[in-house]
Amino acid sequence: MATVPKVDVGTDYKEKYGFFVPEDYIFKAKRGLNPEIVKEISWMKKEPEWMLKFRLRSLEMFRKKPMPNWGADLSVIDFENIFYYLKAQDKQSTSWEDLPPDIKKTYDRLGVPEAERKFLAGVSAQYESEVVYHSLHEELSKKGVIFTDTDSALRDHPELFKEYFGTVIPPADNKFAALNSAVWSGGSFIYVPKGVRVDIPLQAYFRINAENMGQFERTLIICDEGSFVHYIEGCTAPIYTTDSLHSAVVEIIVKKNARCRYTTIQNWSTNVFNLVTKRALAYGDATMEWVDGNLGSQITMKYPSVYLMEPGAKGDVLSVAFAGKGQHQDAGGKMIHVAPNTTSTITSKSISKGGGRTSYRGHIKMYPGANNSKSFVKCDALLLDDESRSDTYPYNDVDAENVTLGHEATVSKVSDEQLFYLMSRGITRSEAETMIVNGFIEPFTKELPLEYAVELNRLIQLEMEGSVG
Amino acid sequence: MGLTLESLDVLQGEPDWLGERRRGALATYERLPHPSKTDEEWRRTDISGLNPAQFSELEHQDGFKLAGRSTLPRGVILEPLRVAAEKHPDLVKPHLFSLIRADRDRFSALHAAFFTGGTFLYVPDGVVIDEPIVGQHTSHAGGTAFLPHTLIVAGRGARFHYLDEYIGQDDEAVGYRSGSAEIFAGEGAEVAYVAVQKWGRNAWHFGDQRARIDKDAKLRLFNVTLGGRFSKTRVEASLVGQGAEAELKGLYLASGQQFFDFHTLQDHQVGNTRSDLLFKGALQDTARTVYAGLIRIEKGAARSDAYQANRNLVLSDHAKATSIPMLEIDNNDVRCTHGATVGPVDPQHMFYLRSRGIPEPTAKRMLVQGFFGDVLDRIPFEHARNLIEADLVARLG
Repeated sequence: MATVPKVDVGTDYKEKYGFFVPEDYIFKAKRGLNPEIVKEISWMKKEPEWMLKFRLRSLEMFRKKPMPNWGADLSVIDFENIFYYLKAQDKQSTSWEDLPPDIKKTYDRLGVPEAERKFLAGVSAQYESEVVYHSLHEELSKKGVIFTDTDSALRDHPELFKEYFGTVIPPADNKFAALNSAVWSGGSFIYVPKGVRVDIPLQAYFRINAENMGQFERTLIICDEGSFVHYIEGCTAPIYTTDSLHSAVVEIIVKKNARCRYTTIQNWSTNVFNLVTKRALAYGDATMEWVDGNLGSQITMKYPSVYLMEPGAKGDVLSVAFAGKGQHQDAGGKMIHVAPNTTSTITSKSISKGGGRTSYRGHIKMYPGANNSKSFVKCDALLLDDESRSDTYPYNDVDAENVTLGHEATVSKVSDEQLFYLMSRGITRSEAETMIVNGFIEPFTKELPLEYAVELNRLIQLEMEGSVG
Repeated sequence: MGLTLESLDVLQGEPDWLGERRRGALATYERLPHPSKTDEEWRRTDISGLNPAQFSELEHQDGFKLAGRSTLPRGVILEPLRVAAEKHPDLVKPHLFSLIRADRDRFSALHAAFFTGGTFLYVPDGVVIDEPIVGQHTSHAGGTAFLPHTLIVAGRGARFHYLDEYIGQDDEAVGYRSGSAEIFAGEGAEVAYVAVQKWGRNAWHFGDQRARIDKDAKLRLFNVTLGGRFSKTRVEASLVGQGAEAELKGLYLASGQQFFDFHTLQDHQVGNTRSDLLFKGALQDTARTVYAGLIRIEKGAARSDAYQANRNLVLSDHAKATSIPMLEIDNNDVRCTHGATVGPVDPQHMFYLRSRGIPEPTAKRMLVQGFFGDVLDRIPFEHARNLIEADLVARLG
């Protein structure tokens, strides 16, 4: 496996994505990982005994688990040189005015308050490892919807929390899930009661803002029977010189007849290792949809998965990856069919440019008994120049009867005919390429809320700028 | 106990260099570990029931039937491989085990150390052979190890058809088998190679078919897998010259408790090359199959065109199929598509045939024959087609 070169993020990075505010932390745990640090984190958070034990047990598992021997090269991660916990501010804010000016400035650039004013139900914005700003729409509270940060949920809804936490992704699942379980902090917790439909998307911004600092947020979403929720996770991060690790765990439970959509736009700066475990359990006639866009980071390894647990469950993954210079996007999806009459689709679109590498890695598994199930996977890759690379690794295992499984993939470049057509109409080459790329990912963009679609198109435009040839 | 240096005593009259290589391969075999479940290539392939030490007797045959031998054009060499090693070391030595390397894994090493029988075919520049050439490898005894190896060297513009048949007469006994072929297609050569594996139903089979295709050369390769309790085959083509073309077709029928594993590679090392792969399989009873294929397009291989498809027809409730079609594309000026399907017989097709009064087993067989048709019809040997048809009829009723 080729080693990943250090990334030159460029001098114009600040103008492109740029926001950067000086660090001002109230508490910053020491670098490195050991039981003392874990105890300290748990103590700082005033957690119950069972959580401390859970963390310590997870740390043990992290130590024992081997690093994945497939996918991207992760050997450059130095686990001893990472801050596992930071806290910028002691008290959670309930209104925008209470926020410290530094943090406010950051979110101003992200457009958070404006978005809130318009139509957002709640903002749970994570600054460093703790959710510092959080507001909840009154209407949602009345309906019984819980939308809070995960730390508060542990404190305020202990029974609900304990019932579901760690049940979808146990710490022993993989090395990075174990790491997250040991040092997790922040993230969102959503509970939607029976029959409640949340019409407006709930969203949270996640941010990394300290050098060498890891973000280990933990999100847990429970959609009770017949409910619906759309959660949006968006990430941007300022420029840094050394590697940062982001290793989140997202657990979702979609009960009977419920529907959950989880949208991600990931745009970490290109020195971040983004190693995320995302998994949902879908029960009878439930629908789980992952809409997953990966633009930033140095290395992303992320395969949102759906376990189709009961008849009629449906899983969807719609994934877009963009890899520029020095980036490796190893993304995809997993569909695990456990029950009969379940259906799943995975649609993956990837774009490689300037020596970037995109890999689709997917797994369709039909267990014995998952009879009459259907699955379809489609992967399209666009290579924008001859330095870039694209891979497809689809694993299809069928152990059930009367199932239909299909997989298709194509790899191509921007077609000369399309370019010629656009350029003959007086459009510059770079503009034409941008249009073609935006057209290529359109099936993804049109699933996004409007402001995200606009943002994504703008990001693609930024990425494509200066791409001549 | 297993195979040892003494096992080689039955193979008299080999040149020293070959003996030397066999000993080297045996040392490699002893050095290499048994593949473990954590190796990606072996994750789904269970060899825990195999103990190579169980097979200590080497079945040795140089006897094979060569159709049309009397009419071979001048300059063509068609000999038992071991005879050719003695008579034509200049041709055999540089090619033998240069594509299928002994150090690839334990089973390749075992094959290189103990291959017996097999054929060497050399077709000089510009020579065209119209008559098909058939190499037959028939195992007569059970409980043995039988490892035939075929080496084919085609000169510039040579054209011919070659068929390897691996047949087990003893259907019951457990045996260790491998049938491998190395094919060198020189500039502008056109080679059709067919391998039909029909060992006894308790055999362990490990086969490698690997070709190196030069400028403007064309290879058509057909792999037909019917026999064995366990069969692992690698089909690999390296396109090393501009204008090279590879058509790789596979056909398999797995029934009873059979387990088949196929790993394929379409290795585009230079540009303006084409490869077209289609592996079709039908599974019934509690059979299991694994297909894993890779298209690799190297950095400079612009204007390559590659296609890869794996289609599985699952005829029973307890058969299991795995399909892993992979791409690694390092150049943007290419056309590359692949696809995989796993599914049952189309109920509408079945209904149509049944409504015409055709009994279900016959209807099923007709549908499988139809499914295999596009590969079967392209096999350039009537003899091989008949062999396959007979097997389908016998097993599908």
